[in-house]
Amino acid sequence: MKTEVTSLLGIEYPIIQGGMAWVAEYHLAAAVSNAGGLGLIGAASAPPEWVREQIREAKKLTDKPFGVNIMLISPHADDVAKVVIEEGVKVVTTGAGSPEKYMEMWKKAGIKVIPVVASVALAKRMERCGADAVVAEGTEAGGHIGENTTMVLVPQVADAVSIPVIAAGGIADGRGMAAAFMLGAKGIQLGTIFVVSNEAQVHENYKERIIKAKDIDSRVTGRSTGHPVRALRNDMTKKYIELENKGASFEELELLTLGGLRKAVVEGDVKAGSVMSGQIAGLVKERMSCQEIVQKLVVEADGLIKGAKFYE
Amino acid sequence: MLEKVKEIIVENLGVEEADVKPESNFKEDLGADSLDLFELVMALEEEYGVEIPTEDLEKIATVNDVIEYIESHK
Repeated sequence: MKTEVTSLLGIEYPIIQGGMAWVAEYHLAAAVSNAGGLGLIGAASAPPEWVREQIREAKKLTDKPFGVNIMLISPHADDVAKVVIEEGVKVVTTGAGSPEKYMEMWKKAGIKVIPVVASVALAKRMERCGADAVVAEGTEAGGHIGENTTMVLVPQVADAVSIPVIAAGGIADGRGMAAAFMLGAKGIQLGTIFVVSNEAQVHENYKERIIKAKDIDSRVTGRSTGHPVRALRNDMTKKYIELENKGASFEELELLTLGGLRKAVVEGDVKAGSVMSGQIAGLVKERMSCQEIVQKLVVEADGLIKGAKFYE
Repeated sequence: MLEKVKEIIVENLGVEEADVKPESNFKEDLGADSLDLFELVMALEEEYGVEIPTEDLEKIATVNDVIEYIESHK
């Protein structure tokens, strides 16, 4: 399945695994890359030495390209930005802002840079500063989100820039993949479905919570503080939203979520922890290997597009 | 210049013109989030033919800051 994204990244299928904090570590990244997609290591707020170690471990498991997602508001962003060059990483995706100040050094090192954007203006800005592609991520996604839906954002970004657009947010099967192509995307990025993959080093409780989730089970906390985050509903989201409605301060709200993702992913505390997930959790019903996930996506999407006939 | 900048702010942030004062803080007084700020910066760059790198965005908090920035970088 050749698209501009597969040629740009040197991969077989235009499928990227999201750089989710705590979840996107080297076992998962290597498994997705071995399956023909692009795996990502999520640097999140981790120190540079952790990221270096992760990259080296991933290389032991795969000889295919993989990438690192750098969260730009991390206190370690400057150092991690250098580590990816030193370790010869091929692809960098970025979140939470604009990576302009690193662009020159990354391009010089031959790294393909793919910022995640949630608006047309930011996509245009990224193209101007030399991005190779953009991930247009709709509000259906898990974790930190923007306001536009994938359905609305992807075609507008595709019209606004001439670099390839990768759709993210709300995709977990071949129908979503085919729809993304229809909207103008040349690739897709998925998170939630890879969280429940066999290779993801995620606590069983977390995986089980996603598998059991229904369509209406996600909640957005933090709209009042300007940092909206999507997670599956539990004691934490309930308490958070109650406090938020009462006009609680940023500091007070922060206390509730501090370390919440780690609590859920590592310790399996899905009641008080933050079970970040996309809205599409309701569609994620079975556990598969990354290989099976990627193959299923490709076969379904390919069949739908080739056999597409919606009216007489 | 204040008038034109005000107009661009009103258009891009969807705020009332009367609320836009030289000392208005984009985040605190005008309720802009980071995406709104990128929207605004792109519009200002187009109008005044300047490029405002993201590093400099951190230094721009108020309407006055924007005007001073543009004047010194034109």
